[in-house]
Amino acid sequence: MPMLSGFDLFVLIFVVLIVLTLFAGVKTVPQGYEWTVVRFNKYTRTLSPGLSVIVPFIDRIGSKVNMMEQVMDVPSQEVITKDNATITVDGVAFYQVFDAARSSYEVANLTSAILNLTTTNIRTVMGSMDLDQLLSHRDEINERLLHVVDAAAANWGLKVNRIEIKDIVPPADLVEAMGRQMKAERVKRALVLEAEGQRQSEILRAEGAKQSQILEAEGRREAAFRDAEARERLAEAEAVATRMVSEAVAQGDLNALNYFIADKYVKALESLASAPNQRVLVLPVEATAILGSLAGVSELFTSAQAARDSRAAAPARSTGPTVGGGGSLVPSS
Amino acid sequence: MSAFSALGVWIWFILGLVLLGAEVALPGFFMLWLGVAALATGLITLALGLPWQAEFIVFGVLSVAALVVWLRLAKQASEAPADNPFLNRRAAGYVGREFLLEEAIVRGAGRVRIDDSVWRLAGPDLPAGSRVRVTRADGGLLHVEATGG
Repeated sequence: MPMLSGFDLFVLIFVVLIVLTLFAGVKTVPQGYEWTVVRFNKYTRTLSPGLSVIVPFIDRIGSKVNMMEQVMDVPSQEVITKDNATITVDGVAFYQVFDAARSSYEVANLTSAILNLTTTNIRTVMGSMDLDQLLSHRDEINERLLHVVDAAAANWGLKVNRIEIKDIVPPADLVEAMGRQMKAERVKRALVLEAEGQRQSEILRAEGAKQSQILEAEGRREAAFRDAEARERLAEAEAVATRMVSEAVAQGDLNALNYFIADKYVKALESLASAPNQRVLVLPVEATAILGSLAGVSELFTSAQAARDSRAAAPARSTGPTVGGGGSLVPSS
Repeated sequence: MSAFSALGVWIWFILGLVLLGAEVALPGFFMLWLGVAALATGLITLALGLPWQAEFIVFGVLSVAALVVWLRLAKQASEAPADNPFLNRRAAGYVGREFLLEEAIVRGAGRVRIDDSVWRLAGPDLPAGSRVRVTRADGGLLHVEATGG
């Protein structure tokens, strides 16, 4: 190996320096990142993805910023709600850097800044709401958080795309109370429904009874009307019959009437006499009159009396059946 | 220098191929230019037969030249990718789109819901319900103007 001359050494070093220069000056930024360039440690520009060249020796890469949307877990923290319930909340934030320079140099520790901003705002928003509201208005919470945090983080060159509350955990005894409350609600609803059913059925039953009674009464009323009508008709018929009889009597002979009546009485007596159970004859007073009314019998009586009167002595007067008076039923004119 | 002199001019071609291979294997995109320059130096040496010092200088100059030529060529190609021009630049993609204001723009600042996120607006004072068009995006802030109708 021969000794190198000064020129030879220069050439070798020149080539090495060229290689180093290329290495320092050629920058290829991967997609999804942006690199800031500082000249003598002062920010000058931002490199977009792809191949770019910076001035070697005086330019350096300051920071390599991720321009993709990133997810940040907000660790769980205890928050006191408006109605003094202590709940444990955790969440998640999605943010994306839109200005590499600002995110690098406007804020000292970007992730810690976002995290603190989010946690404090979660406290603020949740502290202004009741527990019930919190559990049912998550969308609203997310929205309010997003508004506040996004506006604040804009100065750091990033856009907060969404903040989501993941879990809201009330204390165990509260959860148990909520469960009881829900159960009670359901039980109450069931009882109310049952009572409603009973009420309805009873109303229906009463309605039925009422209807049946009404119908019955209507039936009775109708029947009474009909009965009355029948009686009226009967009375009318009797009146007509009586009138006809009386007309007949008025026009005809009275004796004919007597005959009929006598005939009826005798028939009645006959049927009484032929009754199979008793041989006791109860005769109304008029019966004697009937007997008396028969002229022949009457004469027999009178003659028999006359004979007895003539036969009997003055002191002895036996009592016998007396058939009184020879009056006729209908006085003869 | 024994190996160097033994291989003669082929050392440049071998070096060029090794550098190109190394470029594929290792990330960085700076050995590419060295490799190209080494191959070109080999060709020049074949043609002219330079002393090795000259070859080295030619190699160094060509390395830088290769990069400069590439940058010139790349300048003519479009900056933004043809597919997905707004990759990682979401706000820029909203320029020209129209939206309906849900809440009024008051004192030049408002908000609008886009794709299930909320974007801040800057523009003239407008009542809620009016249509706006995005004129330009300034980071996370969208500048809007009222559209007729």
